[in-house]
Amino acid sequence: MEKVVIDEKPVEAARGPIAEVAGMFVKSHAAVVALVVLLLIVLAAIFGPAMYQIDPFEMVWAPFSPPGEEGFLLGTDYLGRDIMAGLLYGARVSLAIGLAAALMSVCIGITIGALAGYYRGWVEEVLMRFTEFFQVLPTLLFSMVIVALFGASLEVVTIAIGVVSWTAVARITRAEFLRIRELEYVMASRASGAGNFKLMVAVILPNAFPPIIVQAALMVGSAILFEAGLSFLGLSDPNVVSWGQIIGSNRPYILDASYTVTIPGVAIFVTVLAISLVGDGLNDALNPKLRQR
Amino acid sequence: MSDQPAANLLTVKDLKVRFPLKSSSIFAPKRYLYAVDGVSFSVTQGQALAIVGESGSGKTTTALAIARLIKAYAGQVQLQELDLLDLAGDDLRQARRRFQFIFQDPYSSLNPRLRAADIVAEPLAAMAADAKQAIVDELFQAVGLRPEQQRLFPHQFSGGQRQRLGIARAMAPKPQLIICDEPVSALDVAVQAQVLNLLRELQRQRGLTYLFISHDLGVVQHMCDQIAVMYLGQIVEFADRISLFKNPLHPYTRALLSAVPRVDPAMRGKSQRILLQGDPPDPANPPSGCRFVARCPVAEARCHSQPPALRRLASGQQVACHLVSDDAVSPLG
Repeated sequence: MEKVVIDEKPVEAARGPIAEVAGMFVKSHAAVVALVVLLLIVLAAIFGPAMYQIDPFEMVWAPFSPPGEEGFLLGTDYLGRDIMAGLLYGARVSLAIGLAAALMSVCIGITIGALAGYYRGWVEEVLMRFTEFFQVLPTLLFSMVIVALFGASLEVVTIAIGVVSWTAVARITRAEFLRIRELEYVMASRASGAGNFKLMVAVILPNAFPPIIVQAALMVGSAILFEAGLSFLGLSDPNVVSWGQIIGSNRPYILDASYTVTIPGVAIFVTVLAISLVGDGLNDALNPKLRQR
Repeated sequence: MSDQPAANLLTVKDLKVRFPLKSSSIFAPKRYLYAVDGVSFSVTQGQALAIVGESGSGKTTTALAIARLIKAYAGQVQLQELDLLDLAGDDLRQARRRFQFIFQDPYSSLNPRLRAADIVAEPLAAMAADAKQAIVDELFQAVGLRPEQQRLFPHQFSGGQRQRLGIARAMAPKPQLIICDEPVSALDVAVQAQVLNLLRELQRQRGLTYLFISHDLGVVQHMCDQIAVMYLGQIVEFADRISLFKNPLHPYTRALLSAVPRVDPAMRGKSQRILLQGDPPDPANPPSGCRFVARCPVAEARCHSQPPALRRLASGQQVACHLVSDDAVSPLG
């Protein structure tokens, strides 16, 4: 009888997939800087209002006082409200809506894309036609209709954004499921006794995650923009401040006091840019082709 | 082998697998490709049966259909008292512990997100954690992997080590039957030998029965007791290893064997190379007579019209060819 050969290659450290992705992510300087900026914005949104105790709705000073005067760092708007306070409170709303809407569209998109990609056949036909129907709707118009019908509250705005922006996630998830379901390890799990639900949720989905995570990160940015668009048009909750709302309400005075519009505009720009740089960094870190074996 | 009469562990009767073809119009009748077209054989308990054939002959499809990983269209697959094609749902999942599968490609058959120990434990889902761990420890040793490698991920293993993991996973639920789909064809030659020896060793220790799919006759000669030669979805010859290599009957088997390169210079002159002309015919549109007729060097008129049945000769060999005589003389002499 032959002796079983044990090869003596030294064992490398068992780095998990998460540690490996983190290692790749920090190699991109732009992504790391963007992540730091994003964390600062998030911290400002969480702790800012408590530290900077000025009500963003209160008229604290004369209207249109430029930044830096009279102790108001970023000046006041056309009603004499403090823009700095608006920015800090608005960050909460913008980020919360961005995250919640992105989360919602990821959930819808994964469910529809996973079912379509896993079951194929008529399930796929029906679900993908449904997806295409949502894709061809003019998104802004459709969400305006939802807000107009159900009232301009934060929840309705979040849902309105989530409902119109899940199609990309559904298509990506379906494509990944189509690819992964044919791989032998899925068949191996089936041969090991895994049922359909387990195959979808525990085997295929974790392997389909990388592009979905990237898409989700980018979607937070576009949801913030979307919310800004809606509140610029006056279709957001009038009882809370958001960045888009500051821009919208100061729009008539853009030539006389351009800073009232520019400052929240820059806030939106920086946040969305940071989010998409983080998303790009994740994309590179999660792309197995760039990872060394 | 043991003295008591050996029982059949697996019996396959008239297995058919078909795939729908794209039709030119929705009104045209649906057309099918019969990748496996009426395959019957049985495997004796404790033995290894090989299915050999070229690419596209339907050997992997046969294996997948028996393992219930793709849908069979017709036929019967009997694992002892179990009728595998009739099982569904929970019954099927329970029964899967009794027949396991080793996949061809060790790079795509391991889930990249699971640690080695979890991959091996996958078929043991319902078991308690410490019982699982004991089995995993034992299997890692049995397949020649070290305990500290349990925490690694698949990409940290070499091809041969990955296939050892695949073997350990298949052994985990203590199956009776293991279906090996070209388990070494993705490995380089030195590693092939190690993995084949491991498979043989495990078969001896655990009394396993193998259904072994391969296109490599050298591997088959090393591993298997009985051999079924497939061509275009059908078995054309079925024999035990010694008779098949000593006296191959079907012209196709002859051609396959003559294609095996010989190392021994004394053997080289003896066997003349039979070169087959052309490609196998389109399986969507098989010839009406013998399926091998277009490439057969000795085909006669009746071969074009009558499909030959697989018949058992006095020598015990089975062959599907009109021209093989009843006393087992091949038309090629």
